[in-house]
Amino acid sequence: MSQSLQKQIPLTERGHRVFDMVRKFARGAEEIEISLISTTGEYLRFGNNELGQSQSTKNRTLSVRLSSGKKQARTTTGRLEESFIKKAVEKAVSQLKTSPEDPDYLPMLGQQSYQTVSRYHTRTVEESAETKAGYVGRAIELARDNKLLASGVLGTSVDEGLILNTAGLESHYRGTGGYFSLTMDADNGNQTGYALSTFADISELDAPKVSETALERAKLNKAQMEVQPGKFDVVIDPHAWSEMLFFFIVSASAGYSADFGTRQYKEGRSYLSGRIGEKIMGENVILEDDVYHPLQMGPPFDGEGYPKSKLTLVENGELRSLASSRISAHRYQDAKPTDLVIRGKGPTKTTEDLVGELDKGLLLTRLWYIREVEPRTKTLTGMTRDGTFLVENGEVRRPVKNLRFNQSLLELFSNIEKFTEPVRNTSFTGTAVLEPGVLAKDFNFTSVSPF
Amino acid sequence: MGRKALKPTEDWEADVNSTKDLGEQLAKVCLETASRDNATYADIRLVNTVIETVSMINENPASEESNDLGAGIRVLYQNTGWGFASTDEVDPENIRETTRKALSLARGAAKIGSRLTLAKEPTHVASWESPRKKDSLTVPTETKFEVLEDATSRMKAEGVVARRSQIISTKIEKYFANSEGSRIYQDIAQTGAQIVVAAKGPSGIQRRSEQQYALEGYELIDAMDLPGKAPVLTKEVLELTRAQGLKEGRSDVIISADQLGLQVHESCGHPIELDRVLGYEANFAGRSFLSPDQLGKLQYGSEHVNIVMDATLAHGQGLGTFAYDDEGVESQRKYAIRKGKFVGYLMSRGTSQSVGEPRSNGCMRADTYQLPIIRMTNVSLEPGDWDYDELIEDTKDGILMVANYGWSIDQKRYNFQFNCEKGYRIEDGSIGELIRGPGYSGITPEFWNACDAVCNRKSWTLWGTPNCGKGQPQQVMGTGHGASPSRFRNIRVFGAS
Repeated sequence: MSQSLQKQIPLTERGHRVFDMVRKFARGAEEIEISLISTTGEYLRFGNNELGQSQSTKNRTLSVRLSSGKKQARTTTGRLEESFIKKAVEKAVSQLKTSPEDPDYLPMLGQQSYQTVSRYHTRTVEESAETKAGYVGRAIELARDNKLLASGVLGTSVDEGLILNTAGLESHYRGTGGYFSLTMDADNGNQTGYALSTFADISELDAPKVSETALERAKLNKAQMEVQPGKFDVVIDPHAWSEMLFFFIVSASAGYSADFGTRQYKEGRSYLSGRIGEKIMGENVILEDDVYHPLQMGPPFDGEGYPKSKLTLVENGELRSLASSRISAHRYQDAKPTDLVIRGKGPTKTTEDLVGELDKGLLLTRLWYIREVEPRTKTLTGMTRDGTFLVENGEVRRPVKNLRFNQSLLELFSNIEKFTEPVRNTSFTGTAVLEPGVLAKDFNFTSVSPF
Repeated sequence: MGRKALKPTEDWEADVNSTKDLGEQLAKVCLETASRDNATYADIRLVNTVIETVSMINENPASEESNDLGAGIRVLYQNTGWGFASTDEVDPENIRETTRKALSLARGAAKIGSRLTLAKEPTHVASWESPRKKDSLTVPTETKFEVLEDATSRMKAEGVVARRSQIISTKIEKYFANSEGSRIYQDIAQTGAQIVVAAKGPSGIQRRSEQQYALEGYELIDAMDLPGKAPVLTKEVLELTRAQGLKEGRSDVIISADQLGLQVHESCGHPIELDRVLGYEANFAGRSFLSPDQLGKLQYGSEHVNIVMDATLAHGQGLGTFAYDDEGVESQRKYAIRKGKFVGYLMSRGTSQSVGEPRSNGCMRADTYQLPIIRMTNVSLEPGDWDYDELIEDTKDGILMVANYGWSIDQKRYNFQFNCEKGYRIEDGSIGELIRGPGYSGITPEFWNACDAVCNRKSWTLWGTPNCGKGQPQQVMGTGHGASPSRFRNIRVFGAS
């Protein structure tokens, strides 16, 4: 069954009905905002060559924000019937009376105009489960034929959101997304290969290529040799490191606040504080916060309907600007870049080109379990997995056992020599990051795993 | 509430005050539909979750209450294919439609699946309420703000750059019914709090924090005394900005109970998840080094290491405590590691027989009404027999590691690295100099075999880990981990630059 077969009243129509109800019950509130978000998803999840955890999910969330003076309160409910909305609003009214004043409170936004983004693709919604199961079935068949086990997920989702407030704001977004993530393995996970493809339009998905890439890597990745940890030149596959690049957005030092956020910068919480105009990376690095990039996903406005604009964070390796917002509707989420685009200056190469230009080093196909070790140097630790290969004279020679690294993100971005074009990836928070593959010098590995 | 006639309209209103009654009505619709369409097995969970989050970030207050009600339906077709569908529209018509969607997915999965058998479980008809002295959701939000404002105001000081505090109150009502006749209602209350203070000084930004989450009511917040802890943490974080780092080398280490709780989670709890072993999580969470041939044979740790998997209330009020898991299996206590030997996995009804166990030990858990997967319950290191003071006195030269900052481990759970907020040198049996950002690393079985002392119950705490991520799409789960300070010999240590 495709996602399009679910009967539903259009979200915008339902949202206006809900807003009328909320206004009726929100006695005493000077300003009222609702945010109605709908998410549906279909996930064909498989493991051990079995399609064992197929899921269909449907979820709606109504968030009501009330304010009076400098006080505000928020309640959220998944039920859109009148009695539940009444209950949620009454709770917010009650909280509003007793909330402390927020010294930084700003009135709600009025009507806004947004740059158009077109991110809803009918085929992603209408693609039948049978067709998607066919992609998965062929991956499993390929794995079986090669005495491997396939595991992974083929997921599609539809996200739609509407914000309305009493100041006249109406913001609406609808978009589709999906991904095919595949591992083939054998020997209790000692032999593994991984591939990933993300898409907004499922027509973009080349499922056979994903299967062939995972297979090729799994076949290569057996009987690994152990290399002594130390500094290696590396080629990092563009799909390998979303979790690592996520740390451009967050810092663990003060409750996962964002280093590139204006507020964090001003309060001295960021390792970037006081460094605007300073060269912090190689001159060939560009970091942007750009929701309008054709590969990006998500709405052109933030959580309170404020329009997003393209921002250059780092150019020619120099820290140029920081992410900011009006005071966020969700106060505890400080402003941060939400649509990160990382790219190199000048002509780009393919991953195969980068391997061909590596005299001696390692090809990394997936980095995993990345955590911050030290905020000042933005040093991160993590592991390789699912295929790490020794490269000599531009050719993949043989697989090596997995390695742990402790590597400063800033140093790494000062040591990049060449880039591929960025691809779309999603971090473990679901944030879309456009990230390139790179050839970098002196990546610091500190220990080795037994497999 | 009185029973309502079932009306299949989109405006059908369920009474949120009686999850149990609503669950009974919807279960009838689901199980009849599944039976009529020839499902081998079906179960439904109606889950009503209320979460209140009250926070202070510096001077900025925020409060939010969320209420999420929905149903997850799982169907097995021809003993071969599983299908799962969930919905937040809990009226009879949608439940019927969602059941059929799960059946459709199960039929598709059956085409490429292999035959499986569910381990036998007695039929349970039960109602259970977790213990709480003071319902946290009925404590006024104003009272929580007063506590948090008091705590964050006490963290103000020259050099402090961030102050955060938060209280989270959760109530989860679940009604479970399956085609074998089980009917289980559970009412679960969890409460937690966290305070964080960050300061900037000569060594960059340092952090001190404290958190605890448990199967308790507001009595947990009273006991934590956040305002009392705030100045202590502030003093420590300012000292850390001037403290020395730690040179790389090897040392004996004593690991505090809170840090060791996370060590147990990462290097014992995850590898004993049987779904990882069987390859169902290979694409994201990963696999495990504990292949079935090692069951009963591998010397995982030293004789001092005893790890239990215990969801029963007798173990304590942890985030992994419940009466029945999310496929209706009664909570149990089993050993995963006994006297250092690996003896048991976390299992489900669909996996236990693959390692020769006739019954699941009740570890299927789901984030709200999502698909249940194998999860940790309370996975705890049992207390040893050392007094904490005696352990310090017995250590001639070592490092005490306290409060987690970062954690990382490979996908088979061998190679780990942890960083802590603070540490202390131990010299000639006394705690000495403060150390900023100490870390340690190792290989799991080597590390646990290097354990030569575990402190006794006097310093044992059941810690709550509220944010364990697993599954695709990812689910978040709370787990419990009891631990007491323990000593490990000749461990690789290092520190911040």
